[in-house]
Amino acid sequence: MYKVILIDDEQLARQLIKTLLLPYKQIEVVAECADGFEGFKAIQEHNPDLIFLDIQMPRVNGFEMLELLDKPPAVIFTTAFDEYALKAFEAHAIDYLLKPIIKERFEKAIQKWLQQADKKEVPEVSALLEQNIYEGYQHRIVVKDNGLIRIIPALEIYYIEASDDYIKIVTKDGTYLKKSTLSHIEATLDPQQFVRVHRSYLVPVTQLMRIEPYEKESHIALLHCGAKVMVSKSGMAKLKTLLGW
Amino acid sequence: MVLFLVLAVLGIHTYVLHNVLHFDWNIAFEDGTTSSLILCSSVWGIILLIRAYPTTAAVFIYALAMALVVSLATTMAEWETLKSIGGNNEDYKAWLQHSLPIRFLVIWIFDSWMATNAALRKNLHSLDTRFQQQADASALLKEAELFKLRQQLQPHFLYNSLNSISALIMIAPDKAQEMIGKLSDFLRSSVKRESEDFIPVADELLYIQSYLAIESVRFGDRLQVVLEKEYTDDATIPPFLLQPILENAIKFGLYGKTGTVSIVIHIVLDGPMLTITVTNPYDENMQPPKGTGFGLEGIQRRLYLLYARTDLLETAKDGQNFTTTLIIPQRHV
Repeated sequence: MYKVILIDDEQLARQLIKTLLLPYKQIEVVAECADGFEGFKAIQEHNPDLIFLDIQMPRVNGFEMLELLDKPPAVIFTTAFDEYALKAFEAHAIDYLLKPIIKERFEKAIQKWLQQADKKEVPEVSALLEQNIYEGYQHRIVVKDNGLIRIIPALEIYYIEASDDYIKIVTKDGTYLKKSTLSHIEATLDPQQFVRVHRSYLVPVTQLMRIEPYEKESHIALLHCGAKVMVSKSGMAKLKTLLGW
Repeated sequence: MVLFLVLAVLGIHTYVLHNVLHFDWNIAFEDGTTSSLILCSSVWGIILLIRAYPTTAAVFIYALAMALVVSLATTMAEWETLKSIGGNNEDYKAWLQHSLPIRFLVIWIFDSWMATNAALRKNLHSLDTRFQQQADASALLKEAELFKLRQQLQPHFLYNSLNSISALIMIAPDKAQEMIGKLSDFLRSSVKRESEDFIPVADELLYIQSYLAIESVRFGDRLQVVLEKEYTDDATIPPFLLQPILENAIKFGLYGKTGTVSIVIHIVLDGPMLTITVTNPYDENMQPPKGTGFGLEGIQRRLYLLYARTDLLETAKDGQNFTTTLIIPQRHV
């Protein structure tokens, strides 16, 4: 028996998939969710084999929800129109259904997934998430905080530090860890706003207070929050071009 | 060609003077050269005069009048010059006086010819420019039309509605038919009003209602719209402006919050201005959903094209609410 969760903010859209799944006796819909928050909770609770995931949803969108999961399940995305994301799906052999969802196409996707699941060859969704799947820049970062979801607006970030497999996001409310790389986060945030001043530091330009020389060829930046971060030679060059020094 | 003509005139002139009228070569050649040079400058002068004329209005009348004036003046100048060349030759002087009408005729023909030619060129040039301007204007118009089309097509809205219909077909076929009816109403009124610049506010509201009817099928009880209106029946609005604003409000509201979302539309006619405010709940942490609505930018642009003003659309955030204010100047009030 395979466990499936449907995540879509439109009740009718979920109902459609549920109805199309009826003939598949080996598949059971264990939960239905209307947004990323609920989806996140339900996935942790049920540990499903497959989720149907809409991208645009209230509060936490489909991608953000996946990013928070340590071991995301197999996904079939359902979306009305998102050219940018479709390209990313195709690049990673992740299946998707375009709305309006047509029975034939739906059955193909299910058959394909069933075959893959039998052979344990389902494509990993995590590879997709490492790439920039968003069109345009993000204005927030979604993190997990004691099992809860917290949304950090980009404007509230003091700085972001690389720390092994994680990034440390420092804000006025505290420090949050997220499993990601600094390069990935750097790519999703507006480069006019955030500068990679060092291999290990991503800093909002508005946080910069003073920059002082430090050892040869490197500098140290004093931030408004009181923290000090290293600025490498190339980081200094980036700051100079961005701020027009 | 003009040069060739002038040379031919010079040749014939000199030949006739010498061989037919039996003046000596000297006088014949001097008379020929002088009158040809004077003719050339006269023609050159008239072309400059026509080119300097600022418009194309009545340019032909101007050209002919100028040709007459200039050729008269040229004939006078020619007479004065040739009188001094002839010296004491009384025969020549007498003949010169007799030949004046012929000389005037020749100069006048040349001047009129060149003047009308210059005028014609001027006219053609202005026609060219006008044609170019017209082409530019129609290109702009087409662009605006395309923009409008794109504005109303809204693939997201259409695809999602079709998806809802697809679901209804399986779970509640009678409701599916109802939904198809609503979607058709909406599409029909989109197409119908394509060509109109201004429509009564009441019509726009009917259109909005057909749109909202679909959205409430999709979002069920979650969507609540309150309409408050204080305006007279003759108030008008450009079509398709209000719907994208409302679509934005719905997305912002529905994507930012779970549970019931209430959107308030307030329409008031205040003197010559129709003011429409749309208020929706708003979550600061929420970024606008991408790909939906064409944003307020498109509306701003259309308002600018219509009224050449940039202050007719404003947005404000206050705590939990996002307010969009749209001002439509009324033409006839």
